[in-house]
Amino acid sequence: MNEDQLLKLQAWVDGELPEGEARVVAALVETNPEARAVVTELRMTHAFMGGNEPEAALPESGEFYWSKIQRAIERETATAATATPNTISWAAVLRRFLTPVSGLALIAFVSVLSLNLFQRPGAEDPLQHLVEVENLSEHVGSISYKSQAENMFVVYLYNKDQDVENDEEFEPLDEPVLQ
Amino acid sequence: MTSQPEIPQVPDETLVRRAQRGDMVAFEELVGRHRDKIYARAFSMMRNEEDAIDLSQEAWVKGWQRLKQFQGESSFVTWMTRIVINLCLDQLRKHKRQRAESIQQMEEDLGGVERQMPVLTINPTEGLERKELRARIDRALGQLSHEHRTVLILHEFEDLEYKEIAKRMQCSIGTVMSRLFYARRKMANLMASYKREELS
Repeated sequence: MNEDQLLKLQAWVDGELPEGEARVVAALVETNPEARAVVTELRMTHAFMGGNEPEAALPESGEFYWSKIQRAIERETATAATATPNTISWAAVLRRFLTPVSGLALIAFVSVLSLNLFQRPGAEDPLQHLVEVENLSEHVGSISYKSQAENMFVVYLYNKDQDVENDEEFEPLDEPVLQ
Repeated sequence: MTSQPEIPQVPDETLVRRAQRGDMVAFEELVGRHRDKIYARAFSMMRNEEDAIDLSQEAWVKGWQRLKQFQGESSFVTWMTRIVINLCLDQLRKHKRQRAESIQQMEEDLGGVERQMPVLTINPTEGLERKELRARIDRALGQLSHEHRTVLILHEFEDLEYKEIAKRMQCSIGTVMSRLFYARRKMANLMASYKREELS
């Protein structure tokens, strides 16, 4: 059996196959002893693991464990309290202000440069000078798109600081399937 | 006049509502009730006591900070378990970035060795006491790569679907299926090898 078939058998055991495919796999399991053996092993592994998760008791006293959590919570709360809008630092204000401004400046720079180049008499390919735009901002990322046919140059800006790792809605980019 | 019930008899939901209003005593009780489970999940993923303590404590701190976001769609302990899993996955990703990917590791992900393993027909856990079975599962989990261990934990213990595992492990569904298949094959064969050890 090839890997694709093996993974389909597993998906069937786990109830992850759409109905049509599930019927095909069920028929294969009926007729193919090798497929049946793989299914038996998968079910066996699932059965002995289910509900038999190893237990581990905390290796330190509950009081000590809690005291560290409590201290961390108090520390975080104190830090959050110092960062209220009334006492926010100038650096933070500047950073918050400069991040979008730097993005806008970048767009303005590209736009003005493009217009100047378009107006230059005799310039056959004005956008050839715009193959590289440097983004020096730590907080703003950029993706550029250039179309010679449309005489168009677009810079898309996005916020690099966005926390995606714990975002419930975050959909990761696929990476190649390991087979 | 009705008196307030003693804290140990109060259900989680009530304690959560109290903690959401800032009641630290209620939160301490929740920590006391579920600390072993949250620690055990961190330990099963990290296989290291120190990391498991640190990450489980960090999870409780995050839990407190995000308590207002908890809507009660799942149980409180399930919600906390998801937090500690995310922290463990973050930590494992950091470790992975720091070390070079070895050829052995890549082969393991691709099922290099597991492809050759014979398919088991006899259940290697038959007749085992639950305590012994758990000990063997623990031992076998310790012998898996963290990718194989994680995918097994998320599927077999957390009952997550392929799509949800892929989202949490930041990989494709195909990768999850492949890892899960070879992790199961390895798990079954490790359990069979412990059975052989026992008989020899």
